[in-house]
Amino acid sequence: MNDLSFSVNAGERLAIIGPNGAGKTSLFNLINGQFSATAGQIYFFGENVTDLPTHRRAYLGMARAFQIISLLMKLTVLDNALLTIHGTKPHRYKMLHPVKEFKDVFEKTKHSLKTLDLWEKRDELVKNLAYGEQRRLEIGLGLAMQPKLLLLDEPSAGLTREESSDIIEIIKNLGEGITALIVDHDMDVVFEVAERIIVLHYGQIIADGPPESIQNDQMVREIYMGAEECLDPVNI
Amino acid sequence: MDWFVINLLNGMSYGMILFLIASGMSIVLGAMGITNLAHGAIYMVGAFVGWTVAVKWGAPFWVGVLSGGLSAGLVGLAIERGLLRRLYKKPNEQVLLTFGFVYILSNLCLWVWGGWPRMPFTAKFLTGSTEIMGRAFPKARLAIILAGFILAIALWWLQDKTRMGAIVRAGMDDKETAMGLGINLELTFAVIFFVSSFIAGAAGVIGAQLLGVRTDLGLEVLLLALIVIIVGGVGSIQGALLGGILIGVIDAFGRAVFPQLAMFTMYLTMIVILIVRPTGLLGRKI
Amino acid sequence: MGTGGTQTKQRRWFVNSVVVVGAFILVANPLYLSSYGEGLMTRFLIFALFAMSYDIVFGYAGLLSLGHAAFFGAGGYTVALLKLHFGVDLFWISAPFGLLVAVLTAALFGIIALRASGIYFLLVTFALGQMLFSLAWNVKWLNSKGMQGITGITLPDLAIPGFTLDSTWYYYMVLIFFVISGMLLYRLVHSPYGLALMGIREDVSRMEAVGYNTWLYKYIAFVISGAFAGIAGILFTYYNFFVSPNHLGIATSFLPMVMTIMGGLGTLFGPVIGAAVFIFVENYASIFAPQRWPLILGGLFVISIMFARDGIGVYLWRLLNKVTQGYGSIKN
Repeated sequence: MNDLSFSVNAGERLAIIGPNGAGKTSLFNLINGQFSATAGQIYFFGENVTDLPTHRRAYLGMARAFQIISLLMKLTVLDNALLTIHGTKPHRYKMLHPVKEFKDVFEKTKHSLKTLDLWEKRDELVKNLAYGEQRRLEIGLGLAMQPKLLLLDEPSAGLTREESSDIIEIIKNLGEGITALIVDHDMDVVFEVAERIIVLHYGQIIADGPPESIQNDQMVREIYMGAEECLDPVNI
Repeated sequence: MDWFVINLLNGMSYGMILFLIASGMSIVLGAMGITNLAHGAIYMVGAFVGWTVAVKWGAPFWVGVLSGGLSAGLVGLAIERGLLRRLYKKPNEQVLLTFGFVYILSNLCLWVWGGWPRMPFTAKFLTGSTEIMGRAFPKARLAIILAGFILAIALWWLQDKTRMGAIVRAGMDDKETAMGLGINLELTFAVIFFVSSFIAGAAGVIGAQLLGVRTDLGLEVLLLALIVIIVGGVGSIQGALLGGILIGVIDAFGRAVFPQLAMFTMYLTMIVILIVRPTGLLGRKI
Repeated sequence: MGTGGTQTKQRRWFVNSVVVVGAFILVANPLYLSSYGEGLMTRFLIFALFAMSYDIVFGYAGLLSLGHAAFFGAGGYTVALLKLHFGVDLFWISAPFGLLVAVLTAALFGIIALRASGIYFLLVTFALGQMLFSLAWNVKWLNSKGMQGITGITLPDLAIPGFTLDSTWYYYMVLIFFVISGMLLYRLVHSPYGLALMGIREDVSRMEAVGYNTWLYKYIAFVISGAFAGIAGILFTYYNFFVSPNHLGIATSFLPMVMTIMGGLGTLFGPVIGAAVFIFVENYASIFAPQRWPLILGGLFVISIMFARDGIGVYLWRLLNKVTQGYGSIKN
């Protein structure tokens, strides 16, 4: 990161784009706590979280869907869901009662899985699901955490057109209570869902504004000239 | 003053053996990601073979060292090629497997050579003492220090200055890319493992003067290697050298001042390093 | 295993009947076994408990520890020392103290060992265990006069008027501890905590991102498994009448590793099966080839890793699944 500073408004749909190596995933790692900041501060709804470990930030309301699917492959869909939903609940430390006894969590999990159309496959190992289903599950579980901030790292990577539009729908329906930061290379997705776009290049912000102004920004167009992505999905 | 120097030299000679033992294990760990817990047992095999060749059959000492190294190298190679290779990307299984071999090799040595410990032995021209600052000091120990330094320089040169070394370092950092560049990683790994075991076996013969030749060496030597690695850090010759000498010297002075403390100075050092600098003094992050 | 999914009725029936039959056999054992056989069964139960405790830290939490005997021996040595230096025979004093010492040892070692991850954890647990071994070997106060280890331990006094323990009653006592521990561990691994532990074993960063303080979970697992190892150690000392530095070192740490790997990691019945196999082989090896026992043990271990990687117990479980599912589909 190169002297990077920006703020996000609650409820905003902010997309972060930039060529490969610009530092997008690193930025997420910093926000999430996976990387420790060597300089600077991070504030989350007024609270300074710079020194907090990842799990504390999750507890405060950050959820993340990773670039490389990071569900627990060798566990079942149901177990993955239960774990995610338990994650911010106090009784995740309970040692003497079977998981199934915690009815409220179980019901919530059942509800989430049904919404994701994965309840039928709840006993399947995640590694046996189709890639698109895994993606859907990961994002869906991130939502099930009822976060205040959802970090979506390349949510459409590896998905078909149809699956991508499913994801777009999910993001559009997130509601005001959730702020979403999206990193993606697929400009269709970005321009569909983003209210505001930040462009990163070598760890620096080179543009920040609504989609139309980014589209027309000279410097941004130059940077993307050599890349495969087309900034104007409709016209070029 | 002479007390200080004598103990320092004692510590350094012991430390050199520790370095030799730990260096092989550390390189395999850093380059291949394998914690070879059988490393001490391989040392032991080398020691026994060296004894048979140099003492029982009366061959020259250096022949004993070579045969110890060779036999140990072959044993290590067999384990790596035959079994470890099939457990690629399963580090836990690899560790456990090597540990099983501690038992297998120890008992095999017991079977073949019997349970009575052999007398420490060394080259004929190195028996006896020389005078250092008015005190008698075994020539063999001086030779060990010298041999250790030579080997350290040779290994460091190999690590930093040769193509093989560069390959090893590349493999340490990024296996897939190294393979993609056409480097025969399989062959490289086999060579690394062989060399590591060879050094251990040779060390077994050189170190027989200090550590003896016994069937319980397998675990004892492993423990020493682990402490050196924890203190010195994984993956580099420098780390093994620093760790080895540091531990050797601390142990020597510890025993001189508090003989009843035995190995505790080593343990204490290890715990301090773990608290203060968990990756070891010169460790690379794995 | 996790929540175990939605089990078929047939499988539940089968598992329950195995448990009932097993329970019956265990309770009825002394009726038909010689005192030698009874001793073997006692040993089996103690080692099964030891192995189950190891499965918590390795199978469920994914932490490869090479120094588990430290807690086993800590429990045992406490009992022995109380007898040697203070003449304490009362179980209700010795055992709680033994457990306390085991737990404190695990609490201390856990903090040191968990500063390291992966490779280093392994090395550190090994070194810490050997350090205790060294202590027990060298410190006079930790040994009976003129020897290595502590002798003269007898079956404990339960302070029940008119009742003294004999080896048969001790077998039942061990059985009770085994069953209770098993039940507690069963609840543990099926609880939210247990599920989280498995998640941590699979992917630490995901679990962190979802809100789990993974270090704390690992630490708790380390201490709990140390506690149960301590209980096994206490029971062992009374069975063995003797405790030695070896019971703190790698020779004993190796045993639950072998048993869990052979029987099946990450399950509770795996270690029990592994312990059974171990006792069986150990018994016959000691009769026919006592000198080659380490070789046989090492060989069995290596074979398990190479060819039966998930353990005999897990293979049996999969077989059971196949059979009951097949039965289910025939019914349909």
